[in-house]
Amino acid sequence: MPGNDRKSLEERDGDPDFLRGPEDEFPEVPATEGGRTGFSRRSFLKAAGFATAGALMGCKPAPLKKAIPYLIPAEEITPGRAYWYASMCGACPAGCGILIKNRDGRPIKLEGNPAHPLARGGLCVVGQAAVLGLYDSQRLKAPVSGGKESSWPAVDEAIRGRLKKIRASRGKVRFLTGTITSPTARRMISSFMASFADGKQVVYDALSASAILDAHEASHGARVLPRYLFDRADCIVSFDADFLGTWISPVEYTAGYTAKRALPALSHHTQIESRLSLTGSNADKRIRVGPSDIGLVLAHLARRLAEDAGSPLSFRTLPPLPIDTGALNEMIERLLSNRGKSLVVSGLNDVDAQRLVNLVNHILGNYGTTLDVKRPSYQKQGNDRDLYALLDDMESGEVAGIFLHGVNPVYDLPDGTRFAAAMKKVGLVVGFAERSDETASLAHHICPEHHFLESWSDAEPVAGILTITQPAIRPLGGTRSLMESISAWMGTPKADYDLLREAWRSSVFTRQTLERSYQAFWDKTVHDGYAMVGATPVGTHPFSSSVMKGVPGPRPAEWTLVLYAKIGLLDGRHAHNPWLQELPDPISKITWDNYVNVSPATAARFGISDGDVLRIAAGSVAVELPAHVQPGQHDAVASIALGYGRKGTDRFANVGPQWLEGRPTVPEGGLVGKNAAPFRGFDGRSIQDWKPGVTVTRTGRRYDLASAQTYHSLSVPERMRGANPEPRPIVQEATLDAFLKNPAAGATRGEDPASLWPEDHKYTGARWGMAIDLSACTGCGACVVACQAENNVPVVGKDEVRRRREMHWIRIDRYYAERGNGDVGVVFQPVMCHQCGNAPCETVCPVLATVHSSEGLNQQVYNRCVGTRYCANNCPYKVRRFNWFDYPHEDKLQNMVLNPDVTIRSRGIMEKCTFCVQRIQEAKAEARRQGRTLMDGDVQPACMQSCPAKAIAFGNANDPESTVSKRKRDPRWYRVLAELNVDPSVGYLRVIRNREEG
Amino acid sequence: MNTRAITNLLLVGIGLGILVLFPKISGFHLPGNQKDYSPVQPIAFSHRLHAGELSVPCIYCHYGAERSRHAGVPSFSVCMNCHRFVTATFGAVRAEDELAQKEKRDPRRVVSPEILKIYDAMGLDESMKRDPSKPLTPVSWIKVHNLPDFVYFDHRRHVNVGVECQRCHGPVETMERVTQVLDLSMGFCVNCHRDITKNGLNGKSVNASIDCGGCHY
Repeated sequence: MPGNDRKSLEERDGDPDFLRGPEDEFPEVPATEGGRTGFSRRSFLKAAGFATAGALMGCKPAPLKKAIPYLIPAEEITPGRAYWYASMCGACPAGCGILIKNRDGRPIKLEGNPAHPLARGGLCVVGQAAVLGLYDSQRLKAPVSGGKESSWPAVDEAIRGRLKKIRASRGKVRFLTGTITSPTARRMISSFMASFADGKQVVYDALSASAILDAHEASHGARVLPRYLFDRADCIVSFDADFLGTWISPVEYTAGYTAKRALPALSHHTQIESRLSLTGSNADKRIRVGPSDIGLVLAHLARRLAEDAGSPLSFRTLPPLPIDTGALNEMIERLLSNRGKSLVVSGLNDVDAQRLVNLVNHILGNYGTTLDVKRPSYQKQGNDRDLYALLDDMESGEVAGIFLHGVNPVYDLPDGTRFAAAMKKVGLVVGFAERSDETASLAHHICPEHHFLESWSDAEPVAGILTITQPAIRPLGGTRSLMESISAWMGTPKADYDLLREAWRSSVFTRQTLERSYQAFWDKTVHDGYAMVGATPVGTHPFSSSVMKGVPGPRPAEWTLVLYAKIGLLDGRHAHNPWLQELPDPISKITWDNYVNVSPATAARFGISDGDVLRIAAGSVAVELPAHVQPGQHDAVASIALGYGRKGTDRFANVGPQWLEGRPTVPEGGLVGKNAAPFRGFDGRSIQDWKPGVTVTRTGRRYDLASAQTYHSLSVPERMRGANPEPRPIVQEATLDAFLKNPAAGATRGEDPASLWPEDHKYTGARWGMAIDLSACTGCGACVVACQAENNVPVVGKDEVRRRREMHWIRIDRYYAERGNGDVGVVFQPVMCHQCGNAPCETVCPVLATVHSSEGLNQQVYNRCVGTRYCANNCPYKVRRFNWFDYPHEDKLQNMVLNPDVTIRSRGIMEKCTFCVQRIQEAKAEARRQGRTLMDGDVQPACMQSCPAKAIAFGNANDPESTVSKRKRDPRWYRVLAELNVDPSVGYLRVIRNREEG
Repeated sequence: MNTRAITNLLLVGIGLGILVLFPKISGFHLPGNQKDYSPVQPIAFSHRLHAGELSVPCIYCHYGAERSRHAGVPSFSVCMNCHRFVTATFGAVRAEDELAQKEKRDPRRVVSPEILKIYDAMGLDESMKRDPSKPLTPVSWIKVHNLPDFVYFDHRRHVNVGVECQRCHGPVETMERVTQVLDLSMGFCVNCHRDITKNGLNGKSVNASIDCGGCHY
């Protein structure tokens, strides 16, 4: 709905503070702070003069630069060249294939492996940021025993001694892990556990999918997670599953989802949810219901479909349908007309609800087409009941030894304190955590594991698709891999490489037929990063619906608390990564904090506004967090992100510039955000992420959230529109029906051909251009972090974000369009420098620091810039970023991640996106070296490469066969603010949604 | 401001102007200009001998120039390709031979003190055997040709198009110790780029870009 799109509620409501925003683009102090500083212009000039004089007095010859060559170089290494190694991302269990970029022995960038069958070249924000986690100086460098640094022989001795006693007394030993997709590690754990009289592995996921596995055990006789094939689904109905954002394997799902959204055919996606998720914001139809009613809608759907199929369900009486019957009829009609091509998924961790989902998919004939249980996914293996059984055992003192790998139950369980107390009753507690976290700090021994970029491992995220993780750097500390630790305790210490080679020879090589020699198979797998091998189909019995007993009942309450995972932070495992903390949330655009989302209607009813500190309490649990008014959320819901309040995030007190008026990102002794996990609950079968009947009270205090939401606005305030009252058509949208009738539907105003500029700038060679398909863009933010990693974009800290000084070169603008009834439509628009042909920034630079290149790039010459900021004032797209300070890494070790091909910008100069000019130059040099011309696809800017949805295309617009040129001929093509005659090189393809008009 | 102050200011200005405009007279370099820089290296490697007299191609040792941004300083394993056999200058070996003949004994192995530094760094004794007591110690050469950090010079692009090394590095094959002979300023780069675009290089037409983004990013 062009013209009705707003960046925020303040804009819609005409909030005077907001409307002042675009007029006052570069305020000296943020709107929330009054007054000016006492530092006058005169004293500034004085100080500047002295500083210059001082600097001149210090002039001396450049320091000696040394060149230290290798004595004997590795055969493949030429200094200065980047080397790429195929591996697997270990930042979450989804198992996306990656390529690791190594420069001079350091991994500096991770990119999706385009050949990998799951992720298909995309990589999410977490994967992009994982390389920074490698250089985290808080990671343990040696094993810890009894709180003190120890050595491996000493720790092994102590653990082996203890295990001997446990063996003698036939005590219970448990290996508690998160999902481990490595078949070799799983086999080692089970043989390790089998060496005890009563040993067992227990698996749980902080973001649990236990109910899906339980439901399949009941309906199919195998406790498996089906592989969801979104690329085969023409009709998707999602009950609260955020599959494009945080659910199970978002990159894989995004790739599949967008494959089905290639115009003119468009899948239909209905999302039923209580809060506005990233997935919901991309849906064709979004139905807003309370969390307790989601299951009810599902039950109605299942009952109707079962009746249609002639096998009515045993439950005849159901509470009334909480949504419009028409909407349900429409959904059923659509599902039935797409039998075998539809997919119903649910993110509810409720066994009854998941059984209904299975029934619905069964009736629709989706098993075998869009869901695969024969070759299932291993990306979630957790079992919540096992975990609670273990907790009971621990409390009764039955467990003699416990190993904790990849889990942090003290932090993320609803009963974390209970778990902490129960740990004290266990004779031997061994953790494998990379840092002394909430749980590991209570363990007797911590045996820190390598980062996944430092070790050999393997994975089978989906049956039959195996990946090898290979090290890209020698371990930075004295860590040891899980497999090596287990082999040491089993009395046969071996290196992880040898263990892996042996395991693959006996159990993977035998599953394939293509390669005759094991060495050839191994080499090919390590080179390609993955191997497709045979998988024995999981034994399932025919669908059994006799188990349909319970119905998720409604539990009406005034307030229901919903806990959700946020892109980037997930379950909190990456809370120590500053790139992820500073990434604006795709929906709320808030950085560095978690908060309580409430709907606008509820906020109005209770007089809550953004930043009011609310106290959320349920029983003995209470937390105080600032409010954020979130359109699209259900009125009875308050929602809080998990993953905040992690131990050790107090380190961010020192992030960003430390100056007179600077405020620390976290208060003294505080943490980033608050932990909401205590509100979770266990209902005897699975962990629940929502809680009815919480109380919400206002504390009367205020808290400043650092949001990137209201600035860098492209809209013109109404008072300044003058003779042209039409709002700018920045995001353009049309429905599928309208598009099929008229491909140009949704276009508002054509470009104005009149120009005062002479046509004197000929682009004889390449002219670089970009085309972004807004229909494909899901707003996930992967491009933002990819750009940050590629271009050495600094982290500025919360206070600077609040002062509108965040530095991301690419941002994703989020626009709301009113859909009535309290609901909103959402459109995402990535905005980077548009490399204008008639660039307004170039004409105002007094020192020619920003000039036009012969290939249409808007060059920014850092060494020439003197920091007048005229260019930023004149930029209509608001994409220029000024270095108000030097922004060194808070953790000096993290300097290792810097890309040596991009200058580190110093204080006082302007910077911006350059279409990754270093990659353009590299591609040109390589093409010349190989004696060929540059081809389409040779240059891939970081944002384009990382995009899981392949929304961004980049190339030579002078080449009529390039992808960019093809997209330029698309009827959906338009350029933002082209009416200003700035001739931008970036264009967009209009959003087409498969929804009804209105 | 009185006239005297203005006069003083003018005089200082003229003085500085002369220094800057006629660097040949004053020997004054602008900051960053390291022309005539000729540091003493840890090993007295002679480019005159290797590249001049013996005509070893530049690319043999600086093999990175063809395939990487950096030409690179060769690792000692490259030196050892020859110096496994060549342990001293021809003159020194012949002198020892003659002396041995005169003294009626077998000639001893002559190892020049500079080449001995390579063996020491590689942890080898005089008979080229690995001596475990000697640590492996890479040698820190001193970089002669330095560009500022905001300049991205790519050897690969220049070498592959046929720019001869001497164009920027001067007649290295005549230098006993490497000296920077050109100022390697931006003017130097741009003039050459303009000239080549206009007149071609070795008879080929080449578009040597003078876009800022060619070197600064």
